[in-house]
Amino acid sequence: MTPSFLSPSRSAEGTVASPLRRALEEADPAAVRDLSFESVVELRGDVEAVPLRSGEELLRLSPRRGFLFTDDDAVDAVARARAAGVLAYDATGAYAGLAIASEQVMRRLTDLDLDRIPTAGPFAHVTALFRRDADGWFRVYVHQELGHYVAEAVLDALAGLEGSAWR
Amino acid sequence: MRLDERVGERIDRAKAVSFTFAGWKVTGFVGDTIASAAFAAGKRVFSRSFKYHRPRGLLCCSGHCPNCQMTVDGVPNVRVCTEPIREGAVVEGQNVRWSLDFDLMSVTDKVGGPFTPVGFYYRTFIRPRAAWPLYEKFLRSAAGLGKLDPHAGHSRRYDTEHRRARVLVVGAGWAGRAAAAEAAKAGPGVVLVDEDVRHADLELPGIEVLAPARALGIWEGGLVPVDAGTLLYRFRAEKVVVATGATEQPVVFPGNDLVGVMLPDGVRRLVRDFSIKPGERAVVLGADDETLAIAAELEEIGIEIVKVVDLREARPRELVAEGGKGRVRRLLLDGERYSCDLLVASGGRQPAYSLLAQAGARVEYDDGLGVFVPIVLPDGVEAVGAVTGEGLSKIAPEPTYPGRGKCFVCICEDVTTKDMKRAIGEGFDSIELAKRYTTTTMGPCQGKLCHLPSIRVYAEQNRMYESAIGTTTARPPWAPVELGLLAGRELTPARLGSIHWRHEEAGATIQWAGPWKRPYAYSDKPEDEVRAVHESLGVIDVSTLGKLLVEGPDAVALLERLYPNRFGDMKPGRIRYGVLTSDGGRIMDDGTIARLADDLFYVTTTSTGADAVTAWFEWWNAVWGYEAVIVNVTGALAAVNLAGPQARVALGRLVDDPDDVSADAFTYLDAKELDVAGVPTLALRIGFVGELGYELHFPSPAGEHLWDALVAGGARPFGLEPQRVLRLEKGHVIVGQDTDSESNLYSSGMSWLPKMDKDDFVGKFALEHFAQRDEKEKLVGFTMEQNVVPAEGAQIVIEGLPAGRVTSARRSEAVGEVIGLAWVPTERADPGTRVEIVVDRQRRGARITHGAFYDPSGERMRS
Repeated sequence: MTPSFLSPSRSAEGTVASPLRRALEEADPAAVRDLSFESVVELRGDVEAVPLRSGEELLRLSPRRGFLFTDDDAVDAVARARAAGVLAYDATGAYAGLAIASEQVMRRLTDLDLDRIPTAGPFAHVTALFRRDADGWFRVYVHQELGHYVAEAVLDALAGLEGSAWR
Repeated sequence: MRLDERVGERIDRAKAVSFTFAGWKVTGFVGDTIASAAFAAGKRVFSRSFKYHRPRGLLCCSGHCPNCQMTVDGVPNVRVCTEPIREGAVVEGQNVRWSLDFDLMSVTDKVGGPFTPVGFYYRTFIRPRAAWPLYEKFLRSAAGLGKLDPHAGHSRRYDTEHRRARVLVVGAGWAGRAAAAEAAKAGPGVVLVDEDVRHADLELPGIEVLAPARALGIWEGGLVPVDAGTLLYRFRAEKVVVATGATEQPVVFPGNDLVGVMLPDGVRRLVRDFSIKPGERAVVLGADDETLAIAAELEEIGIEIVKVVDLREARPRELVAEGGKGRVRRLLLDGERYSCDLLVASGGRQPAYSLLAQAGARVEYDDGLGVFVPIVLPDGVEAVGAVTGEGLSKIAPEPTYPGRGKCFVCICEDVTTKDMKRAIGEGFDSIELAKRYTTTTMGPCQGKLCHLPSIRVYAEQNRMYESAIGTTTARPPWAPVELGLLAGRELTPARLGSIHWRHEEAGATIQWAGPWKRPYAYSDKPEDEVRAVHESLGVIDVSTLGKLLVEGPDAVALLERLYPNRFGDMKPGRIRYGVLTSDGGRIMDDGTIARLADDLFYVTTTSTGADAVTAWFEWWNAVWGYEAVIVNVTGALAAVNLAGPQARVALGRLVDDPDDVSADAFTYLDAKELDVAGVPTLALRIGFVGELGYELHFPSPAGEHLWDALVAGGARPFGLEPQRVLRLEKGHVIVGQDTDSESNLYSSGMSWLPKMDKDDFVGKFALEHFAQRDEKEKLVGFTMEQNVVPAEGAQIVIEGLPAGRVTSARRSEAVGEVIGLAWVPTERADPGTRVEIVVDRQRRGARITHGAFYDPSGERMRS
């Protein structure tokens, strides 16, 4: 059984809002963008058995756990994964996503090796999933309830880039 | 006094900068440090010494010694010899009573010596013991460095940046630059770090230069924190090359701390960088050619060289710097007096090996050079240049030179040769013990200027070779670092449910609840919110509840073995309350378990228990090898509890078919999927707050929409405090508040819950024992005889002795009494038993109760 109550996309139009809406209200879109409506599917089982479509990315965290990032509706992706024998759960509502342009901001919020993305690890003292765009933007996903805090941390780090001089 | 404009000077004479120095207005130039500008303006005293309050002037001008530590714009212990000048800065002396030039506490230098020998604080100020706080206050006030304001806010912003480097070179001298250039030939990823501001504009091809920036230490894995002022770089380097050079060492002779006694490089910086004439008449005292060479440089700028003493040849019987008002006036050398206002003295250069030693390098005394050098380096660390001893000439000054007066080995801590001899005489003849007793090398310079001289004194006194004494342990940080920089940016993760902002907008008082921020109440009358739930309709945000999906062919088996409850007999669409027990049979967590399909369960946990329960489930699932997956969907779903007599009607208005939620179609402990206000929802008919209620679980992004719809439908929001009252009226336990790590199902009044006929479950063995023994105490309800509310944790008193504790207590309007839960001795746990509870230091009567205080039959909840 696929739990339908997990899927925001099943909600009527105009009923859903991003957890980052308030934090990023006045943010510069050239620096940081909201990815919270990007479809994310949590996979359990033989995660590599899921056929990937163009533009999709599989972040494999362990042999039997991974996340599928897709431009498709997550409901369809869940169905596709389940058809392939993999347990899948719509995690779109579970994650807040941010696209971050500045590598320096990333370096101020995580000690991960930024050349080894995709990966999972700490970001602003919480656990995050990391991807990287072809155009160099970093994509960071955190639990949605931490999204506002993380977005504020990102904006704070951006603001701090101006003020790091020797006293 | 400024010299005429010189080639290479760092100051821009066209740009004046003014600031306040110890109350005086001082003007310098862009490029000056605070110290150079003040020195050029005639200021000579920059600090007072730690213990004796002796005036101290510039010594090294490189940020190593303690002599120029001042408070700048409220920040204490700033070394003004490297602190760039800035307009309007307020620079003040510290550890001073009255003024830098006249410090009342300098009386300790005149008369206090005999009363304040080394270690006096271990032997005196002991009796009467009750007076120690007074002594401590006085000592702290009389000695020490700048004062920290414990209540101060952030004075500046600090950031941390994580960096990676293939090769990190520390030190931008000739050796460091050469090493960096060589490394850069192999590709990118080379970083060169130097503390000297003069390298700020240094550009080297293929090399990133960070200056001024100071490496604070070298840890495992090539971790090197680098202090760049308000930014702390945390480098992970594949290779670290240390090229920290060598540090000039003071000569140990009486009066060696007088204002006007300087190290040669300090004098050179004043002259070369800031075009300052540091004196009129100079004596040069040195043990190497480099030191003695400064005489010619000083002559060149018009300073009269009164005497040059080559300590390699001379063996003075008497060598004393004599002064007046703390400033050097002359040098007394073997009966001859040489008038001077500048005494340039150096005992040679000691490799600055501290970073290497911290990293694990072995350091040994080199008899050929007369200094300590690193011998064996740890993996991933290399050393180049003078830090290895390369290029240094042999130095062998006398450990001390004779004469009358205080002869300082450690100027940071005001430790004299007499102190050290006394320490040795008292038996502290190991250098590590002596370090702790005398505090030599433990001051702000961290041994840069006193480590080698102190070992020489020890060697002389103990008639040993320096090589046999060894070094003290070098510990990071290499240089003082601001606590704010180490602390970094303050980031406090806060979990906000997707409805959080609606609570803020409604004026709720927000409080921390574990890692979450939750509404305490929406007004200062939580009882109004309680009443709304009892009489009509309320809604509370319970998104913080832990939520897990357990799916797979073995899902039932897994839950059966995790919980004392039974789940195999549950039909899809039904809910059961469950309590998790540890293998010791203690209560871990509680929640509800809804069966959504034969192989799919929806489990809720306490708000703070989700992560621990998930880990617990996954652990046992792996141990037992079940085919089941556990997915933590806590964040994916928002949840609200719609409760009150009007709940069914209100919910019916928001679903497609109101019959779906009728009393017959949706009975107590049913679970069903519904579309509520256009949102796919898992509705659970349960009632933590004791009224007809529905827990609605739905995608988090729809939180505000559904909340708005419920409130628009007449539900009054209620917060945590009203919820606590409501659940207490029902006698519902909050795990972690009413229970602790020793509580079990029997002592907590839930003996009905464990199904002991099951084959096995976690904690069964322990529960079997609990079932057979008499519990010492039990969790019971109580009502107060008077209208007073005991604090949570208040003592239960029986026959004058403490016998139990209150875990929860509230005044209930619906019950008409103050009610609560408490742990009491089993023999006093029968209903109606009278106990006493301490409230505001008075014993108040209370009666034990069992069961719910409100609607004990549960009719309202099940209606």
